[in-house]
Amino acid sequence: MSLWQKCLVRLENELPEQQFNTWIRPLHAVEAADSLQLLAPNQFVLDWVKKHHFNTISRTLHDLGQNVTPRIQLDIGSTNKTPATGVITPGNRVPERPVPGQYKSNLNGDFTFETFVGGKSNQLARAASIQVGENPGGAYNPLFIYGGVGLGKTHLMHAVGNLILEHKPDARVIYLHSERFVADMVKALQHNAINEFQRFYRTVDALLIDDIQFFAGKERSQEEFFHTFNALLEGQQQVILTCDRYPKEVTGLEERLKSRFGWGLTAAIEPAELETRVAILMSKAAQSNTELPDDVAFFIAKHIQSNIRELEGALRRVMASARFTGRPIDLEFTREALRDLLALQDKLVTTENIQKVVAEYYKIRVSDLLSPRRSRTITRPRQIAMSLGKELTSHSLPEIGNAFGGRDHTTVLHACRKVAELRDSDARINEDYKNLLRTLTT
Amino acid sequence: MCGPGAAVPGSNVHTSTRGAFMNHPQLPLGLALRDSARFASFFPGPNAEAVRCLQLAAVGEGETLVFLSGDTGLGKTHLLQAACHEAARREHAAAYLPLNELKSLSPELFDEMEAMQLLCIDDVDAIAGLPEWEAGLFHLFNRTRESGSRLLITGSGHVDRLGIKLPDLVSRLGWGVTYTLKPIDNDSVHMALMHRARSRGLELPEETAAFLLKRIPRDLPSVFTLLDRLDEASMVEQRRLTIPFVKAVLDEIC
Repeated sequence: MSLWQKCLVRLENELPEQQFNTWIRPLHAVEAADSLQLLAPNQFVLDWVKKHHFNTISRTLHDLGQNVTPRIQLDIGSTNKTPATGVITPGNRVPERPVPGQYKSNLNGDFTFETFVGGKSNQLARAASIQVGENPGGAYNPLFIYGGVGLGKTHLMHAVGNLILEHKPDARVIYLHSERFVADMVKALQHNAINEFQRFYRTVDALLIDDIQFFAGKERSQEEFFHTFNALLEGQQQVILTCDRYPKEVTGLEERLKSRFGWGLTAAIEPAELETRVAILMSKAAQSNTELPDDVAFFIAKHIQSNIRELEGALRRVMASARFTGRPIDLEFTREALRDLLALQDKLVTTENIQKVVAEYYKIRVSDLLSPRRSRTITRPRQIAMSLGKELTSHSLPEIGNAFGGRDHTTVLHACRKVAELRDSDARINEDYKNLLRTLTT
Repeated sequence: MCGPGAAVPGSNVHTSTRGAFMNHPQLPLGLALRDSARFASFFPGPNAEAVRCLQLAAVGEGETLVFLSGDTGLGKTHLLQAACHEAARREHAAAYLPLNELKSLSPELFDEMEAMQLLCIDDVDAIAGLPEWEAGLFHLFNRTRESGSRLLITGSGHVDRLGIKLPDLVSRLGWGVTYTLKPIDNDSVHMALMHRARSRGLELPEETAAFLLKRIPRDLPSVFTLLDRLDEASMVEQRRLTIPFVKAVLDEIC
């Protein structure tokens, strides 16, 4: 047992367990004959340990080292010198000098077009992405993909990158989250390496930046990104961006950036419809070599509507429970495994809640929805609320009719059919319906 | 009735149990006063699947993200600390981050934490509605996807119900496997008490256990805190845990 390991055993017994696990456990020791270097993951931990635990560590080492205390040095660092994906960006190589030509893509190889499940909700974004993958730096530059959380924006972005690499294996394709761009820039400024930073980002073949809404309010980063963006577009290098909303709607972003984001192609991803959610579940299950019966996939997809991550989370839970219990995945088993999750959802979506949300949305009163009034301004929201009731709750048609001022089940049936028809013919009604669905399920 | 103890199993909110009981002020030698938070000292009861999932994740197997929800006092903190310990036994770098206590500090605490192979984030509700902390955790989450760290996160309820404002963070919390810890029933509380007594080498006769459970609240934190006190009293007094002795201790401390 090394000196530090002995010290850990002692400290684990002396310090409250929580403090030990928070501040001491994350330290990594590099031991030499007469010195001990302790690496903290960040400046904050280092400062805390120095202030609150250094004396205890020092005393303990002194006791254990039979009164010969090694020289203790606290630094920032870890054993993992490079991230697992191995991308080398100015941020994680500063302050070392960059090695010319050293580059390794950090794309996720699992995110390809083959594993991306297409549907009505994403067909334009998918088609545009394939175009860009086939012909980077061409007409669709930048490609701006936007949509709510967990709908597959990042997957599409990686898929484009992977396709570019498939056609041109030596292409320099860089994927990063906007936060990483900001962090890299800050580090480059701190280390006087902004020129390297600029050179690095301006010489890639394709730059993929995720969640650019996080640039909001960061003026210096926006400035830097603006110039990088211009340089890339001028050089016909591809830029792909994702965002949680339409460019013009991002507050805290400079106007000139917003307008440039619209220069290429802007494509939306909508929440996936039931059939696509089912197909996604089947695809994910197949990737894990799990057989998922159709009725189970429909059951999960019908209950989890908010986003694909939650859908995946539910599937993972079912698969984990099946592994643990050794039981086959069938409807009864799935219902049991997801009971907690679904109980919460059911609690959330009640007929009363639907009525309240729909009334608020259309700026009418709940009592209007329940009243006998038949004017268009009331009837339409009422039909939509009934249709949502059918889709989101497990209530029967008579139960729903009853909850809407004692109406007949045929009225509910008519409402559901009418809404389905209107959603196909009237984009505004379709948009309203989707907004309400999202509000009620997230 | 005894008041419930302040400490949840394995937490470090130490209620001082060192002291004299009854007439003899002789202190025990500071042995075995703390039940370390380990998987072995956790009574799984109806939560066996969740516990197994955490055990595997702690050593880099199975799930990469586990979200553990449940009410206070069911052992979430205990399990996360046990996971940290288990990871360290395999020489995996691990950190335990109790957000309820750390939120008064700075989200800079998350910087480079993705270098840890295991990150145990306790009480994520604590940072709900704090924009910088929410964004900090979201960014850490993204970085762990690249570094391959495993994340074990606890919260009081379903991810949608924690009051977290950043939808990006909510969707990520729901990405992994979610388990809800279930409270254990009366029979299981009895078994948990016997299990805990055995794991710390304490001889607790069945009839004494039954007597105890009639007299105290049947939640595990209260039961375990009381067991701490009885353990200490029995050491100080050099007495076995007979019903009369336990009754005397209860009368003294309640």
